[in-house]
Amino acid sequence: MKLKFRMYSVVGMVGLSLGEQHFIQGGIAQDLRCDGRKRLTYRPIHVETGVIPQANGSARIRIGATEVIASVKAELGKPSLSQPDKGKVFIYIDCSSTAEPAFEGRGGEELSAELSTALHCCLLGAKSGAGAGIDRTSLVVEGKICWDLYIDGLVVSSDGNLLDALGAAIKAALSNTGIPSVKVTAGAASDEQPEVDISDEEFLQFDTSGVPVIITLTKVGREYIVDATPEEESQMSSAISISVNKKGHICGITKRGGAGLDPSVILDMVSVAQYVSGKLMNKLDSEIASAEAEDES
Amino acid sequence: MRQIRAEIGAVSKADGSAIFEMGNTKVIAAVYGPREVQNRSQQMSDQTLVRCEYSMANFSTGDRMRKPKGGDRRSTEISLVIRQTVEACILTHLMPRSQIDIYVQVLQADGGTRSACINAATLAFADAGIPMRDLVTSCSVGYLHSTPLLDLNYVEHSAGGPDVTVGILPKLDKVTLLQMDSKLPIDILENVMQLSTEGCKAIANYIREILLENAKQLEYRRGV
Repeated sequence: MKLKFRMYSVVGMVGLSLGEQHFIQGGIAQDLRCDGRKRLTYRPIHVETGVIPQANGSARIRIGATEVIASVKAELGKPSLSQPDKGKVFIYIDCSSTAEPAFEGRGGEELSAELSTALHCCLLGAKSGAGAGIDRTSLVVEGKICWDLYIDGLVVSSDGNLLDALGAAIKAALSNTGIPSVKVTAGAASDEQPEVDISDEEFLQFDTSGVPVIITLTKVGREYIVDATPEEESQMSSAISISVNKKGHICGITKRGGAGLDPSVILDMVSVAQYVSGKLMNKLDSEIASAEAEDES
Repeated sequence: MRQIRAEIGAVSKADGSAIFEMGNTKVIAAVYGPREVQNRSQQMSDQTLVRCEYSMANFSTGDRMRKPKGGDRRSTEISLVIRQTVEACILTHLMPRSQIDIYVQVLQADGGTRSACINAATLAFADAGIPMRDLVTSCSVGYLHSTPLLDLNYVEHSAGGPDVTVGILPKLDKVTLLQMDSKLPIDILENVMQLSTEGCKAIANYIREILLENAKQLEYRRGV
């Protein structure tokens, strides 16, 4: 668990007076945050799917004022030699300069890299592919060919809790993804590129029942809050992002922040995250379903 | 002309923001400013410093592309073009020693991104309440098979004919941006300019409607 203090020097560039800091900390201790929420309540979540028609799947998610867009593009490629039975997934996050003036030019690179790595760890499992949220074996078409999924996330507006928003957006984009069905013409020599026929009509919906949601718990004082705003994030001592899937299994943990945490505290935070994830998962699923229904109508 | 759609206030954190769609081209612009100059050496005592950054999302074009952020020559050129165009219309002398940043992000590119960016920028400036001489609107015109075409999309653009991008101040009837590539016979130029001026004025009318609608909404929310 490396110290990742520098990340917050970009996001937490809010000037808070001493009085405001005490107000935030006191409110959290009494389960009443600045905007009236309880500690474990999320801000209103809006989901829109199919926002990028050129992509195989896309979604735009707004949690409060944080807005992110995720798009999934599928391209045919060869499976890697070390894992011939699995397709490849690449996650790349970009922090747009529209979100923060500080992200101009290369300013947002550090944060983007941080978010990409955290998402990789939460959604894609270990190097061997075990325990992944996204089932990569379903991406293989036939021995030599597999689908490469390029998942691109763009942070349009940043108002705290970027990781959760990105996780939710990726989940929504994946449910919106249709992979065209491919027919491989038989009889190609073993070292030649086989001919493929990509159908324009038939699409296979990607299976997202195993994709986890990411819950970030921010510890302020002795309490943890969910869905922190930038002001609350600037008061945190540490934060843990936990990804939990439908079955309640933990798929990945990332810790940020400089303060050390007692192991019992971490276990407590994990159980709180599991509790919150149930509600968030249901909310997200219903929002995604209604967004897809609206998209089709 | 393709269908246009605009939305104000997409990025709540920015001082002004707008999303502008021209057909399949979708662009988001955010304005931060006027605020204190970050780089003291660039501060100007008699006017405001306008900075612009243009970037394209990875998923914006048909084939996913991976661009080096801030280093791409096309992005730099377009950033410069947008900056010069809007600098001509903002009343920069009213805000000396300050800085205005405009960030434009292309979400979907289908031809005419330059124009969509300028239109989005105008809306964003209006949303931020920055004093301007007039709205700047822009659209592109091409000339294929002896016909001037208004608002080219990507396919028409790649067909190889000339592509003229024009930016005008509609009420003042002044041209602030004129860029053209490929060849165009001079006698056709006047036709093409005429067509683009009409197109820009149509966009300006639409933008005015949107702003009026937005103002009514704000009025309603304030309980007036």
